[in-house]
Amino acid sequence: MNQFQQALLMLVTTPVVPAAIGGLIWGILGGATPGISASITMALLLPFTYTLEPMPAIVMLATCYIGAEYGGSIPAILIRTPGTNASAAVILDGYEMNRQGRAGEALGISLWSGVVGGLFGLTMLIMLTEPLSRLALLFKPTTYFGLGILGLSVIASLSSKSLLKGLAAATLGMMVATIGTDPVSGVSRFTFGSPDLLEGIAPLFIMVGLYAVTELMTRTGVVTTIAKPFASIRVRLPRFSMMKKIARSQAVGCAIGTVEGLMPGAGGTVASFIAYNEAKRWSKHPEKFGHGSEEGVAAPETANNTVASTALIPLLSFGIPGSNSAAVLLGGLLIHGLLPGPRLFEQNTDVVTGLYVGSFVADISQVLVGSLILPVCVWLVNRPKPYRTGFIFALILSGVYTVHMSMFDIGIVLTAGTLGYFMKYFGLPFLPAVLGVVLGGLVESNYRRSLVLSGGDPRIFLEDPIAILFLGLAVLILVGSLFNEWRVAAKARKAGVA
Amino acid sequence: MRKDLVASMGLLVIAAVYYAATLTIQQSTLEDEIGPTGLPIVLAALLAIIAVVIGARAFMTAPAVPVSDSDKDPEAPWPRAVGILLIGWLYLPVASIVGYPLALVTMLVAVALYEGMKPSVRMFVVAIGGAAFFWLLFEVVLGVRQPEGILF
Repeated sequence: MNQFQQALLMLVTTPVVPAAIGGLIWGILGGATPGISASITMALLLPFTYTLEPMPAIVMLATCYIGAEYGGSIPAILIRTPGTNASAAVILDGYEMNRQGRAGEALGISLWSGVVGGLFGLTMLIMLTEPLSRLALLFKPTTYFGLGILGLSVIASLSSKSLLKGLAAATLGMMVATIGTDPVSGVSRFTFGSPDLLEGIAPLFIMVGLYAVTELMTRTGVVTTIAKPFASIRVRLPRFSMMKKIARSQAVGCAIGTVEGLMPGAGGTVASFIAYNEAKRWSKHPEKFGHGSEEGVAAPETANNTVASTALIPLLSFGIPGSNSAAVLLGGLLIHGLLPGPRLFEQNTDVVTGLYVGSFVADISQVLVGSLILPVCVWLVNRPKPYRTGFIFALILSGVYTVHMSMFDIGIVLTAGTLGYFMKYFGLPFLPAVLGVVLGGLVESNYRRSLVLSGGDPRIFLEDPIAILFLGLAVLILVGSLFNEWRVAAKARKAGVA
Repeated sequence: MRKDLVASMGLLVIAAVYYAATLTIQQSTLEDEIGPTGLPIVLAALLAIIAVVIGARAFMTAPAVPVSDSDKDPEAPWPRAVGILLIGWLYLPVASIVGYPLALVTMLVAVALYEGMKPSVRMFVVAIGGAAFFWLLFEVVLGVRQPEGILF
């Protein structure tokens, strides 16, 4: 039976459709709630997926990502407050269309662009992931060590303006990863006699703490001014003539979304702003941008929905998440004992096929589901912030408890939230820390395994050309990043003197 | 730059505490060449070096010209942020005493008050309704037990 037949069979014999729709609804609702980004929406869903089978769990998380990207544009268009960071670019023209009495039209264009971007991104995902993952068949422990170091270096240098702060965050994450039983000798490390820490700290709790609890702490007491509460609104999907009109900007969004999705650290936010600028440059009517241009809504929406799929390419191929949301999905994979790479495609074909089928179902059904639950989203957008904060907190506390039915886990999440608050305050990025927690074990165990194989001779790393390539690239990236930082600082000093 | 100096000191403290904890790790007869303390020592040293460089850079750089915060999202000052966290920590003993539904009502009311809402009947109704919703979702629909209290 080929993969296409397997996919068709999956639609009727497995819970892929309800999982995809469930994840999509959760994502749209989370994305539509101001202050809840796509990664937070996914992190809040993570504890619920713990009790599910691997395939529906991963499908729910992936489709939640898709839903959150559309959901984020709802408050962006209606109340000039982006639901997610990636939807900030939609405000420029989406809110302007709303002011002109065309909010339904803007939401329709946003939905349609989400479908186009999502399907294009999914095609790229299917075409590129498996061939890339085959490369990983050549990997040895030395290669995995090199890959881990490369992943950490790339994310540390790209996710913050300061390489040092990125590296500090990655180191903190790796420190957390060392808590628990040592994988080689079985000795307990940093457990302080607590049996709860013997198995280590699950990345899931760090993610919920860093992304969700930190956000609650940062936003508490902050008054957000809502432009104008909405009573009701209906989505107006674009007609054929409008589809033709926005096709060029959607093509720009697809191209930018593919490139940015593949690049670690870039993510949907960068993609949507670049797509907006490029669509303006390529448009026949650039003067309309910023004044309620339909193309100005279509380009960023297409781009961030393309990223929702293409960001999974480096994740599924090599286990390197390029964005916060992809890192949460990696957490979901690890919870179920699934390791990204070629073995995932060989041993867990149901999960991979389910992910593709689920994403396809979510992309297609986005128009219907998005239109139907819009009143709920509008209701959510209009809720007073104190209630929203309380309900999100309740969801975190209840959801985390369900994982091991342990109050200790809630304590870990609150502690991670505190750490996250101070990291945010001092400008330390989260993604390298999360990656440090996730990759810490992989880096350490493969380094030690390599040395065991060579009888303690470190020259084993020089005998593996792919490891040399990865480690060389890591050094180049770190040096390049340091040089770039130094150049920017020197320029700023010069400007200050002048 | 003052922030970076404080961050540098904070990171140095973390590195020192982590290193001190590393020294308490027991030896094992199954140890390989690196041992269970190998990576932790490297990490402690790495974090200390990064902290020193961040601090030195902050010390040597001239104070930055204050930039307008108009484009930056407003953030809560740390004492306020600690308050919401305390509500979360208090949930743990409260839930152990009065059980999940009542602890949730208390938490929802506390958060609403802390966020500046004036006490009202509506607030309590929303909190009770919210707690009932979560209880139904977790205990009945998902079948997942939530904390049981000594009293209820």
